[in-house]
Amino acid sequence: MEREELDITAQLARLELSEDETRRFEQAVFQMLEYFSKMREFDVKELPPTAQMTQTNRVRRDAAVANDNTEAILDNAPELEDRFIVIPNVL
Amino acid sequence: MHGSEQLSSWAQTLLDPTQRSSWLEFVREREDQIRAFLQFDPELGLEVAAASSAESGKIGSLRGIPFAVKDNIAVGNFKLTCGSKLLKDFVSPYTATAVQRLLEQGAVPVGKTNLDEFGMGSSTENSGLGLTYNPWDLARVPGGSSGGSAAAVAAGLVPFALGSDTGGSVRQPAAFCGVYGLKPTYGSVSRFGLVAYASSLEVIGVIARELTMIRDVFSAMRGQDPRDQSSVPYAEVESVKGDGRFVVGVPDLASIPLQEEVQSSWEKTLDGLESLDFVLKKIELPTLDYLVSAYYVIACAEASANLARFDGIRYGTRSAGFTGNPEQLVRLSRSRGLGDEVKLRILLGTYVLRSGFQDRYYLRAQRIRTAIRREFDAAFSAIDLILMPVYPCGPFKRGSEGLDPFSQKLSDIFTCSANMTGLPAMSFPASVENDLPIGMQFLAPPFAEERLLQACDRFARVFPVPACPLYRPLQSAGANQSEDSGAHSSG
Repeated sequence: MEREELDITAQLARLELSEDETRRFEQAVFQMLEYFSKMREFDVKELPPTAQMTQTNRVRRDAAVANDNTEAILDNAPELEDRFIVIPNVL
Repeated sequence: MHGSEQLSSWAQTLLDPTQRSSWLEFVREREDQIRAFLQFDPELGLEVAAASSAESGKIGSLRGIPFAVKDNIAVGNFKLTCGSKLLKDFVSPYTATAVQRLLEQGAVPVGKTNLDEFGMGSSTENSGLGLTYNPWDLARVPGGSSGGSAAAVAAGLVPFALGSDTGGSVRQPAAFCGVYGLKPTYGSVSRFGLVAYASSLEVIGVIARELTMIRDVFSAMRGQDPRDQSSVPYAEVESVKGDGRFVVGVPDLASIPLQEEVQSSWEKTLDGLESLDFVLKKIELPTLDYLVSAYYVIACAEASANLARFDGIRYGTRSAGFTGNPEQLVRLSRSRGLGDEVKLRILLGTYVLRSGFQDRYYLRAQRIRTAIRREFDAAFSAIDLILMPVYPCGPFKRGSEGLDPFSQKLSDIFTCSANMTGLPAMSFPASVENDLPIGMQFLAPPFAEERLLQACDRFARVFPVPACPLYRPLQSAGANQSEDSGAHSSG
């Protein structure tokens, strides 16, 4: 994979890689992609893709359910103001 | 029966003050060497357990039994670090369904065990929060990613522990630590509360030294859960009863080099099975050649999606220092909080899902997955079980003396078939070679966990569960006063 491809991929993955990391990951990623290319040998014609094994599509009622652990959830927020989670300015 | 004596002792451990303090002392001692737990807090566990069992009134065979939970499975009020710096202070606001069902039976969660970060790894070396040491040989890894759980059980700290198995992460550490590890049928145990790594591959599993324990825990946990849309009702398949002459498929392993110790153990296992009247039958599994590549494409792709939520915004360790905008906050929090192996898999997953590459990698892997499933289904039409090694080598040393990350991935070849096909599989201790445990595994058709248990039980006649040097059976003061003392045998 070219350096640029790795940079774009990292951006999409919301990861910031240092110069040193980029070098290391470049090698590791390349090694894995090389290994993945083995799949090309396999004849996949006529084979439908399997996304998941239980193959069910159960639905549930679109109804509200009471949730009583909001406090516990908010306790994990890095920075709170009243019941709002504080983040840097979007703009 | 030896098993149930132990069980009633375990049930007393937390209740009887003398037993409890002796057990706590033992755990403290062992933990200095093994470091299986990231968080050990029986007091908290008792509180959590009391709240649940009081509500349900269901108390059963697991009443009072202490157990450990891999730290990627939620237990309310305990931390849920997933072995990651990014979540090192995160306290779970809820409890996984599988755990909740155990709590309703009266079991007590006493701590969270160490793991490879987010379940990614085969040695627990990828934990962002510390190392765990194999109780068989402290210079070696306990396996992964459920290394902490396996180590805790092997040393006798708890009678059972929960793990998660995405590509072998319950079975391989169980094998590395000389204990049993069950990976149930996909969908048979709710994944609600299991921090998702690869949603179509993983399932919560059990590690224990006693098969009765595995059976009881699995029975309690399994069953459809409205909170997990991929869970299904448990439909037990009839096992082969009576003479127990299971027909075992033995694949040709010529193309996969095995370490001498594993080869030796493999041969002993085959001999042992024959002596027990199992019927061995050669089978061919040509898709094994493509298994690992298809597995990693799917696992990494799903991981990249599942781990997108860890951004430092609503929870987790936020990057310190000035960040001008939320985008930068997210990038820095992830980059500083996530370990190398996790980043690698996220990058790979993101790449194979990029438009233009999907066909070549992700879709192709899914098609190969169909072929693998069909091949295993066809094999099971003529046999009851498949026997395979668990790992090409035994427990290896840490760091550069051990197995490099790439080789570790290739070594998932035996275990990831069960994840790709959703089939249940169980690793069992097969022999001890040069003082290290080697495990083998059985695979079965969907919902045939009981068959796995019976087969392992039978094999235990030729090779019972070994005890590692650091293992100590529970010392119970007053073991004669078991709860069943009313049933005196009169000759």
